[in-house]
Amino acid sequence: MRNRRLLFGVILILFFVVLPLFLDLENSYLLYFLFMTFIYVALTQAWNLVGGYTGQVTLGLHAFFGLGGYIIGILWSRGVIGYLDSIGMVVAGASAALLATVVGIPLLSKLKGDYFALGTLGLGEILRLATIQGGTLTGGPTGIMLPSSHFTNIAPHYFIALFIAIVAIAVTYVVSKSRLGLALVLIRDAESAASASGINILKIKVFVFAISAFIAGLCGTVQAYYLFNVEPQGYYNLNWTIYPVLMCIMGGAGTVAGPVVGAFLLSAAFEIATYYLPDIHLMFSGLFIILTIIFMPKGIIGSGEDWKRLIGLTVK
Amino acid sequence: MDVKIYFQLFINGVLFGTMYGIGAIGLSLIYGTMRIIFLAQGTFIILAAYAAFWLFNTYKIDPYLSILLVIPAFFLVGAGSYQTLFRKVARENEFTTLLISFGLMILLENFMCVVFTTNTRALRTAYAANAFELFGFQISFVRSMAFVMALIGIGVVTVFLKKTLIGKAVRASSENMEYATLVGINTHRVNSVAFAIGIGLAAMAGIAVATTYAFGPFSGFIFSLKAMIALALGGMNSVLGAFLGGVLLGIIESYVSFFISSGWAHLISYVVFLFVLLFRPEGLFGRQRGVKL
Repeated sequence: MRNRRLLFGVILILFFVVLPLFLDLENSYLLYFLFMTFIYVALTQAWNLVGGYTGQVTLGLHAFFGLGGYIIGILWSRGVIGYLDSIGMVVAGASAALLATVVGIPLLSKLKGDYFALGTLGLGEILRLATIQGGTLTGGPTGIMLPSSHFTNIAPHYFIALFIAIVAIAVTYVVSKSRLGLALVLIRDAESAASASGINILKIKVFVFAISAFIAGLCGTVQAYYLFNVEPQGYYNLNWTIYPVLMCIMGGAGTVAGPVVGAFLLSAAFEIATYYLPDIHLMFSGLFIILTIIFMPKGIIGSGEDWKRLIGLTVK
Repeated sequence: MDVKIYFQLFINGVLFGTMYGIGAIGLSLIYGTMRIIFLAQGTFIILAAYAAFWLFNTYKIDPYLSILLVIPAFFLVGAGSYQTLFRKVARENEFTTLLISFGLMILLENFMCVVFTTNTRALRTAYAANAFELFGFQISFVRSMAFVMALIGIGVVTVFLKKTLIGKAVRASSENMEYATLVGINTHRVNSVAFAIGIGLAAMAGIAVATTYAFGPFSGFIFSLKAMIALALGGMNSVLGAFLGGVLLGIIESYVSFFISSGWAHLISYVVFLFVLLFRPEGLFGRQRGVKL
């Protein structure tokens, strides 16, 4: 069973690797769609680690996404790093992880449940407003324009996003199979029991929070390299948190495959809605969110048993 | 600089914070009984503002008169929202309800975009620019009306919670839902009532907003955030505390905007919010009891 799943995963990856060979790199809408979906897969896994496995509902993913983008913007516009600079991207991700550690220690030690969610929400707003006030460093409310003459086609962005998504999935897979993963689930389900069995709760929470921030920061860097500008409203936008949360819940929080399924399905649903219902597609999205949560709170993967029962595979 | 300016800023801050305060009372009722962080509160405020705007422009109904229409309508909307959206998941973990509120926020925002367009609107009444002088201070008429409305709102909610049977049930449920069920309180009815009042207060805040500010379909989120900050400042479980939290937030913003800049005002209010969450999660005016951590 496990081998078959792994094989399926490898075939899927190979498919996405060779797909650009058969498409028009200049104007293919499908490639752009997949590029955005890969970003969402990575962000959703990042949220899944903290929210799904550890049960700490963070609403601050956009803070780290935005920071990643801005570090690229600031460093590149000053000539410190270049176009699609892997060192720059790692530095940006590491800065996001550093911020997550510094902020995570007080937040995660003091706040639980809703209060933690509100605190992380506040963090994103603080970064957004600080960026607007940042003067020449951040370019204020208009942000920083980056040299777009470097752009040839979407292929490099596509592959980087694919790579980040695979890394995020692999990290989640490895964590979920490790002792760390067991500790995370125990923290989620019975925090006092976790503490009683000698798990250093704060250390583990902060560690996972930092990994998640690193991934979110990387996603922000790709976005900056693709859009060739960074600005506060687009990068520190709450959508970068809420869509991944939604995708994760829809697919199945606390599973490896759930976020992938959720990200693909929801991205596709949003695209279709944008195409066929251009005026009201956001209304449709809102309705979609409500219906999903009410009727499928465990997600598609999480409701596996219900599906089987529905098609008569298992007897109740 | 004249010392008078400090008092003027204080008055402005109080009147300004009133709006946050009314929104926060509604949130505190909803959070208190159901532990729902109701992100769509601000969007309901804006929806009510649009309702007042529409009634004024189409039927020439004065915004203060439209209270009589808008608030009862929003009571029904509130009870209906609970019954259709939250009843089924009221016992699930907190973030499912958070996401439903978010979905509702997106739905309403874009509904308003379609119906009222994305243009920024302002209600231009004949008395919008009026101000009167009190002890030598300039006080805006519409803002002081908002303040009076807030006081009436607090009065009504307090009497309701203290004197009526269902109000007592709401208070009992917010202290301990399980025990409240044990003594025979119908939780769903209590929750509907709390929701209806919460949304009703949003409607009142909305009319206050419509008379004082320009607003657009997406202005709601910032009100939700501000109401939440007010709630965190004042204490999640106290009606008066929530209102005082809003007023305090208004005062902070008023002073910071004047002495530093309005851009920093928002930033500083979030920083204050984070520190209060970290060091005094029961709020500055809240009681320890009943706050779940």
